[in-house]
Amino acid sequence: MNSTIHDLRNQLAIAIANIEGILDGTLAPTEVRLQTVHHALLAIEELLGESRAREEIKP
Amino acid sequence: MTEGTKDRVLVIDDEPAIAEVLSEYLTAEGFLVERASDGAVGLKLAIDNRPDILILDLNLPTLSGVEVFRQLREQSDVPVIMLTSRVNEVDRVVGLELGADDYVGKPFSPREVVARVKNVLRRYRRQGEREPAPAEAQRVGDIEIDRLGHEVRVRGNRVNLTPMEYRILDVLANNLGRSFSRAQLLDRISGEGGDVFDRTLDRHIANLRHKIEVDSSHPKHIVTVFGVGYKMVGEG
Repeated sequence: MNSTIHDLRNQLAIAIANIEGILDGTLAPTEVRLQTVHHALLAIEELLGESRAREEIKP
Repeated sequence: MTEGTKDRVLVIDDEPAIAEVLSEYLTAEGFLVERASDGAVGLKLAIDNRPDILILDLNLPTLSGVEVFRQLREQSDVPVIMLTSRVNEVDRVVGLELGADDYVGKPFSPREVVARVKNVLRRYRRQGEREPAPAEAQRVGDIEIDRLGHEVRVRGNRVNLTPMEYRILDVLANNLGRSFSRAQLLDRISGEGGDVFDRTLDRHIANLRHKIEVDSSHPKHIVTVFGVGYKMVGEG
């Protein structure tokens, strides 16, 4: 559970920092950058899916 | 601004998508940025290239952030901002106990990190300028230091200190409550005396405690700061 939260925070950090940078004009909205954010969001989805599955198994 | 006058930041983070964003923001603010993606490489860069400030992720391959910090503090007092995704109490305590200058939890706003870098640098530089001129005579608990007469009395009795012990006491007493790493202390007390090494310093401290503490195995004035070094406190 702890390492899931750790991974979630990391992926969230990637998504938030990149989007914030694009919005405030510090970062160019390149395709690579948008792919990085997309990747992070997919990773978050997967992490949430995993932790949900584990919770259902719990008695 | 020329390259030579820019402040240099070393970012040690194994996540390239985070290191890259921080690097872009810091560069846009006029910093020169270097990056390392693992602990061992980061530590080497921090020692060899002497950056002005470090952003250090706690969770790193090869050498953890805590270990990088510990080893770095033995040789350098460069300011460090720790970055972590494990924002539980333990990490916070570890970070602060080790003596990190600031602490940022993930996820973070990159603007906030830049603001903190500037703040810590400003604070660090102000601290350097603000060191007080030593008082001619000072009393710390039951210890009296007479800097004019170069004499130390404990509970009214004069004690004989070696020049090295006197210098250590002088520096610590002049900065009551401030923690010094071994490297920082060695910096202050060597000079005319030639080289003093880490463990020799511990020996001098032990001797000094023996002479000025009531119970040198439970020192009340010259206390050990775990993982950092030593400091002097007024009343135990």
